Amino acid sequence: MSYIRERALDLVIVLFGVSIITFMMIRLIPGDAVAIMLGANTEVTPERVAEIRARLGLDQPLLSQYLTWVSGVLTGNLGESIWTRRPVTQEIAAHVWPTLQLGILALAMGAGLALPLGVTMARLRGQGFDIGLRIGSVVGLTIPSFWLGIMMILLLTSFAPGLQVLGYVPFFEDPLGNLARLALPAFALALPILAHLSRLLRSAMLDALQQDYVRTARAKGVPESQVLFVHALRNALIPFVTSVGIMTGYLLGGAIVVEQVFAIPGLGRLILGAISERNYPLVQATILVVTVSFVLINFAVDMLYAVIDPRIREARRG
Amino acid sequence: MKAWLGSTALAAALICGGLSGLGAPAKAQTLQVAVDASPAGLDPHIITAFTSFQVVNGTIYEGLTGVDKDLRIVPVLARSWTISPDGKTYTFSLVPNARFHDGTPLEAADVVATFNRVLSRDIASPLASRLAAMERATAQDATTVVVTMKEASAPFLSSLSTIAIVPRRFEADKDALQRAPVGTGPFRFREWQPNSFIELSKAEGYWGQGRPTLDGVRFNIVPESATRQVGVSSGQYAMLANIDAATALQLQGRPGVRIAETLELAYTLVGMNVSKPPFDNPRVREALNLALNRAEIVQAALFGAGVPGGPLSPALSEWALPVSQFPCYTHSATRSQELLRAAGHTAPVPVTLLVLPRQDIRDIAQVVQAQLNRAGFRAELRIPELGQFIQDWRNSNFDAFVSTNAGFPDPDDYFFRTFRTGGSTNVFKYSNPAADALMDAARVEQNPATRREQYNQLQRMVACEGPVAFMTYGQLFTAVRDTVQGFDIIANRSLSTLSTTSIRR
Repeated sequence: MSYIRERALDLVIVLFGVSIITFMMIRLIPGDAVAIMLGANTEVTPERVAEIRARLGLDQPLLSQYLTWVSGVLTGNLGESIWTRRPVTQEIAAHVWPTLQLGILALAMGAGLALPLGVTMARLRGQGFDIGLRIGSVVGLTIPSFWLGIMMILLLTSFAPGLQVLGYVPFFEDPLGNLARLALPAFALALPILAHLSRLLRSAMLDALQQDYVRTARAKGVPESQVLFVHALRNALIPFVTSVGIMTGYLLGGAIVVEQVFAIPGLGRLILGAISERNYPLVQATILVVTVSFVLINFAVDMLYAVIDPRIREARRG
Repeated sequence: MKAWLGSTALAAALICGGLSGLGAPAKAQTLQVAVDASPAGLDPHIITAFTSFQVVNGTIYEGLTGVDKDLRIVPVLARSWTISPDGKTYTFSLVPNARFHDGTPLEAADVVATFNRVLSRDIASPLASRLAAMERATAQDATTVVVTMKEASAPFLSSLSTIAIVPRRFEADKDALQRAPVGTGPFRFREWQPNSFIELSKAEGYWGQGRPTLDGVRFNIVPESATRQVGVSSGQYAMLANIDAATALQLQGRPGVRIAETLELAYTLVGMNVSKPPFDNPRVREALNLALNRAEIVQAALFGAGVPGGPLSPALSEWALPVSQFPCYTHSATRSQELLRAAGHTAPVPVTLLVLPRQDIRDIAQVVQAQLNRAGFRAELRIPELGQFIQDWRNSNFDAFVSTNAGFPDPDDYFFRTFRTGGSTNVFKYSNPAADALMDAARVEQNPATRREQYNQLQRMVACEGPVAFMTYGQLFTAVRDTVQGFDIIANRSLSTLSTTSIRR
């Protein structure tokens, strides 16, 4: 319990820091909301600019803007988008599903395929299959996902013109259309994960297979598949799970790029759009939400160790 | 092995799911448009950036007047009007059967409320200056609006084309129209999924006979240029609205894609700060004009898609003088160097060019830099972040800058804000009493021939000695599938001709 309490305190400190950093950063980017709102289309007088600033609440001192915001957040009010006046919680809720679904699909593809591939690579160490996949994984790690995305769209539309692969439809409206549109972006997002995780698992497995207990198990006559998937894999999973936790952070970053290429209305697009239109409350709230989820996921990963490795469980109890 | 089988099955299911979703038929007669950015809002009096403008102008909203494809001012919600001889009273007669999309009929009181809304300090509309010459508007009866002016205003009818008429119940409402616009246009607002799409549907009972022909228009927000190109090539999108030359040239000749083009009203320029050396000297400004090889800029930076131009867009054929009328537009590096020597400069003149951080403008700035360096200048480029650029621009914190300026159907909009002493975008600090007098006179001049002569004089006056070296007017492009008919591209980027657009089955 004290472990959980400690982590919760960490969480509060991290969030306080994040709130100050996001609040300051978006305001320190040169150029203000008013200039961007006006565009090049109109004749503007300084009085008009002042009136618009007042309308958006940007004429208040920074500290009071910050205090207003933080006290709002503590009461569950994350503020309103300065353009549409919609509560930002609504905006975030509308954008969270595509990203969540994309992330889960990508993680399932990446981690799901990395397991068998990593184990097989370790098993067939030094053979053609292993070497081929290791080269492939370097390629997978180095190809930028936006390039991969565009190439996949190009290829698919030239082989199957008329295929609707761009944009997004909610799963419950059109499940097949939803999966059709998400398959490519999820794959583009999954490839680097797959490459990274399979390499990681391969070396962790190689390490585990050198251990005495594996030799003992083989000597006892335990079937090879059981040696691989029960004895060795279980021990190789610790670094794997840590990496999966860190990957969720990568996923959010990668999602920004992939959502951009595939025109998917997710959190990445929301953040990018909010920054470029200097929509202060929206940027602050979205980054806060993303950070909280990242911290929570890592918290969950920490808990998972205990499930995988009884030694950690014991150490904590003691 | 179970894990392996499970994940393979999952991957296979995902891929098969992907391929079986092929045949979802496109909705009949809804035009799929792809645009690059999500509008920040749809209130036509609050957000005036092009991202909002192209979605609502002439589709959802209409003004008393409008701009046709040849940039002429035409009647829209005002069926006709009379102007008193002194130019100070306008009487507009409204079309009799127009309705807002909420069902209420359009009445003179709505027009009056709209004008009040635009002028209200609380709404803080950037369009307020468009109505600056107006004293007040009154509803004489349900279909007649009388506008009294502080002074005669030649560009007034043109300005009115930018004022969308909204129902009077929104006069003091700052928020509702941002999310759910209500106008009189051929399409009504249906749904907006932020960062995804904005969908409009046909307005039943639209006052314009036989329009619109489409059942709806869907603006898909697709930020990545490569994705938009693939989308229109494959037929998922039927239109890419208002695209740049690079994209258009790549799409040219693709099967099934047609490119519509027109000359832009916006121009590229080198703006010079006349409040400090070296550009406080008119001879140095003329030297810079001579140093520029505008034809080379068009070829090198605009891919040939544009023309060299003077103070007004050649698209305004009634007003613009041909560039042959401006002696300093004939490129001559030697003549430029002579002028710099005459201005007292012996070594190359060092100048820093502030550059708008946009790819096409950067390309142009590099060509300009090379040209200046061959003609007696030593130019350096400074390319800041956009917000920083706007700030430096607004505070006149530059020797000279390379940028682009928007253009308009009326010459007053080009000149007054830019060259008038104290004009709102006169960041050059230019002040020329003779030019001021011409601009003031042309602004109130009722006789078109006299007004044209005034603007001719003004163009000659500012072309070579003014604070702006006008460079190029680019081509504006819209890519459409070849099944799209009845669409005309308009230089002000309005998509109002969607009302006559149809898709051949």
